[in-house]
Amino acid sequence: MKALILAAGKGTRVRPITQTIPKPMIPIVNKPVMETLVDLLRSNGVYEIMVNTSYLSREIEHYFRDGSRFGVDMAYSFEGRLENNELIDEPLGSAGAMQKIQEHSGFFDETFVVLCGDAFIDIDLNLLLRKHRQKGALATIALTQVASEDVSNYGVVVTDDSGKILEFQEKPTTEEARSNTINTGIYIFEPEVLNHIPKGQVFDIGGELFPSLVASGASIYGFDLPMQWLDIGKLSDYHKVTQMALNGSIRGFKMPGRKVSPGVWCGINVSGDLEKCNIIPPVYIGGSVTLEEGCTLVGPVMIGQGSVVESDAYIENSTVFEHTRIGSTAEVKNTMICGDYAVDASGCVLDLEKMGIDWAVSDARRAPESISYDQQQFLNLIDVWTETEREEVSYSRVID
Amino acid sequence: MKLSIERTNNIAVVGIPGEDLDAQNAKAFKKAVTPLLEENLNFIFDLSELNFVDSSGLGAILSSLRHVNNTGRDLKLCGLSTPVRALFELVRMHRIFDIYNDRDEALLAYQTSTDVVELT
Repeated sequence: MKALILAAGKGTRVRPITQTIPKPMIPIVNKPVMETLVDLLRSNGVYEIMVNTSYLSREIEHYFRDGSRFGVDMAYSFEGRLENNELIDEPLGSAGAMQKIQEHSGFFDETFVVLCGDAFIDIDLNLLLRKHRQKGALATIALTQVASEDVSNYGVVVTDDSGKILEFQEKPTTEEARSNTINTGIYIFEPEVLNHIPKGQVFDIGGELFPSLVASGASIYGFDLPMQWLDIGKLSDYHKVTQMALNGSIRGFKMPGRKVSPGVWCGINVSGDLEKCNIIPPVYIGGSVTLEEGCTLVGPVMIGQGSVVESDAYIENSTVFEHTRIGSTAEVKNTMICGDYAVDASGCVLDLEKMGIDWAVSDARRAPESISYDQQQFLNLIDVWTETEREEVSYSRVID
Repeated sequence: MKLSIERTNNIAVVGIPGEDLDAQNAKAFKKAVTPLLEENLNFIFDLSELNFVDSSGLGAILSSLRHVNNTGRDLKLCGLSTPVRALFELVRMHRIFDIYNDRDEALLAYQTSTDVVELT
């Protein structure tokens, strides 16, 4: 079986994270989500993987290259053009991507799997393939259940008892939705499906190809298989997925670094005595991090590589991205944060660059600038009041 | 800067106008509010119009608190939008101020407070 990973999307609902990295490259702790998909394909015996790229294509292509480092063969179908030395993205849609590759080389000459590159998936693809073959299907989709109130984020699928797909509803309201079963973006296709995709135009699998297949009476099936499917569709999803990884709730996910005590993992070159910090697991501390004495980390917490956590800083249920300095007077709770922005668990974004609170959060690589008079006055005022708070709060220390 | 002011008994509720309290207008805010803070009142700042506050804005609000505390009076805040509340929590200002959802809650807090600031 061959594969296509769809990696051309812009990820607008995960801004500002996707301002500098494309959604498939968003890391779950240390590993880009798309790498977990390459691992999944390889472990299911799929070794030839095409990837369509568009937005920030270089990030993807330079990381995976020809796939040899990951034990597979990979190549890219870039959707866009170079103009004035700048890459302009011109995505073709998920089905348009398939057709472009087919027109280039006829790559899809056997049954192939298509995956959306922005979700963590733990599924038995060979089981899905067996069911696909049993039905003699042209196309098969892996389905899953979601809560009624969430259906408007997804494509809802209605099947009969044999699994034959009767109807698609793209992002219906809870009232309109005819089921809670949704399209996970995991597809198995026969090459003949390309006959249903027009050439040279933008065409989408879920919104256009499947409805036309249903209308034409083609043999398409959907199966709700046991799987773990973690979609990083929006910012709040990403926060939740990171917490799950740290809590050990993602099947097959191996924490990076060395386990230094129960629930605490560290990369190398970490500066600071963990015993002089208040650490409640699970916590992952990236390489080259500085932890100053007296800082508090209440897990699940991830501290990205190269970051600095100053004494008296408080971090709880949060992700600190790489190269971030968290100041002594900062309190980071339920938040993903770097020097430029902070995003809380609900997806509320703070533009820290504009706010001028460098003493609280900044890029750790920036030399500390002299504090303005106003900022120093502010800090003096904060210091007087929070001294009492610090004395009143006590945290349990990590026990060996 | 034109502040909206509502006086009830010995409490003044001050509405801060506009979406931003930042380096552009923090000085104007301080200039407008300082004479008011001299009055022998307790205060509530209603921030419900604000969507963006930077370090200058934080400093202006904090210095107002210090000003009234120096003479035994109090300042409470209400109506913080989600991003403003998130900023306050990030820099620990939420541990310094009493923060309420709206003016009514803040007024009620003054009335029921056991540490009612007595004004002589």
